Amino acid sequence: MAEKKQGRLTKVLDYLKHDDPFSKGVAFCPGCGLELLLRFIPRVLGNDIVITGTPSCSAPVLLGQNNQSWHTLSYFGTLMTGAAANATGLVRYYRKAGIDNTVVCFNGDGTANDIGFGNLSGAAERNEPFIYICYDNEGYMNTGIQKSGTTPFGATTTTTPYGTVHRGKNLRRMNLGLKMAMNKIPYTATATLSDLEDLAKKLLKAKEAKERGFCFLHVFAPCPTGWGADPADTIEICRRAVKSNYFPLWEAENGRIRMTKTVKKPKPVDTYTKLMKKFNHMTEADMKILQDDVEYEYCLLGGLSVLEAECQLPVSVKDQGEAS
Amino acid sequence: MSSNHYFKHEGPWSDAGDPLMCTDTGDWRTKRPVVDKEKCIFCGFCAIYCPIQVMVMQSDTHFEANLDFCKGCGICAKECPKGAITMISEGEFVS
Ligand SMILES: Cc1ncc(C[n+]2csc(CCOP(=O)(O)OP(=O)(O)O)c2C)c(N)n1
Ligand code: SF4
Ligand code: SF4
Ligand code: SF4
Repeated sequence: MAEKKQGRLTKVLDYLKHDDPFSKGVAFCPGCGLELLLRFIPRVLGNDIVITGTPSCSAPVLLGQNNQSWHTLSYFGTLMTGAAANATGLVRYYRKAGIDNTVVCFNGDGTANDIGFGNLSGAAERNEPFIYICYDNEGYMNTGIQKSGTTPFGATTTTTPYGTVHRGKNLRRMNLGLKMAMNKIPYTATATLSDLEDLAKKLLKAKEAKERGFCFLHVFAPCPTGWGADPADTIEICRRAVKSNYFPLWEAENGRIRMTKTVKKPKPVDTYTKLMKKFNHMTEADMKILQDDVEYEYCLLGGLSVLEAECQLPVSVKDQGEAS
Repeated sequence: MSSNHYFKHEGPWSDAGDPLMCTDTGDWRTKRPVVDKEKCIFCGFCAIYCPIQVMVMQSDTHFEANLDFCKGCGICAKECPKGAITMISEGEFVS
């Protein structure tokens, strides 16, 4: 009986080859997507990675308090304005010292897309050999749920409230993953927590690809506290985001986009938005704007994946840069 | 304790040898996941999706939450394909 049961175990467990370096009781809200992601990364990539990151929801746990720690990884806390520059310094030091390791620059969307975007962009241009992971909770959560560039149209945050004048964010969501893929870095991918096998594969691919240069992972990680969602729905939210093409899963090697999951019959985006209070107030007309935007972005992605396959990226523009 | 060999580069202030900080997150819980062993098909979905990774394998037959740290989010119950996990109010367990 026991043996028969064993055969059905999910394949994801095979990717969890390493120990969980975190203490069991850490200070993330119940149902936090970030916590699952943060425990997952070293279990797949190994405990010998070096993490660097900025003030954010991840920092109280990654940085520790006073001189005590929540985990056994090496962590270098830095400023929001210089996350990728800091990681660049780390990889260069390790290279000079002859240490072969993996540097993971781990940040929220506020750092990656807004405040620390300049040096992220620079690191991509110089093709620095490390992995940048952005966990996207669509806002500045740690400072009290302010809007960021990746907050979607219509969503309420403390700086885009709903009231008589405003109806949530009145701007589009920026597509951070696509922006990075356009830099033709060795590896870019999007991932989320409902498809952990896909996430594990992408992490391992990034670890391999970082030998050739800069890698960027954009991971959709719901924040039940900031989004007004039931903590139990965290994984379901990710799943519906994928099924409605709100957050499509793809990867790009040297900018060549390939969908890693295609949804045959995409669900309307309101199947996703209705799980959260931040979209509660949206009218049909508002929802149409969001739906059209989701469809536009998806269409663009599809178009680019075809075009990139047809056009030839001049080889070795980047390789020459490396050699000189 | 640590499998991280880069700690040797850290300064004398390093706490690498100290026990890790740990909060009594089990105390936050208002509902507790209870697994029906009969219904459980041992697929492990509850274990991989638990943000705290406290769903522990029990003698290769089923999974059970470590209640010392389970925050009671309910993800495991929601994701279980067999509906084998029920979230029961902590009040029920107060004697
Ligand atoms: C240059 C700078 N501006 C503002 C802050 C204040 N601050 C601390 S944490 C934080 C939010 C970070 O948001 P994000 O990177 O999205 O991470 P999250 O909190 O969502 O996990 C901000 C704005 C700061 N530390 N540095
Ligand atoms: S505020 Fe959101 S992102 Fe931050 S710990 Fe809580 S659930 Fe996680
Ligand atoms: S998800 Fe449900 S069926 Fe699968 S191992 Fe957990 S309790 Fe058992
Ligand atoms: S209720 Fe949440 S924290 Fe507790 S075991 Fe289930 S998934 Fe893990």
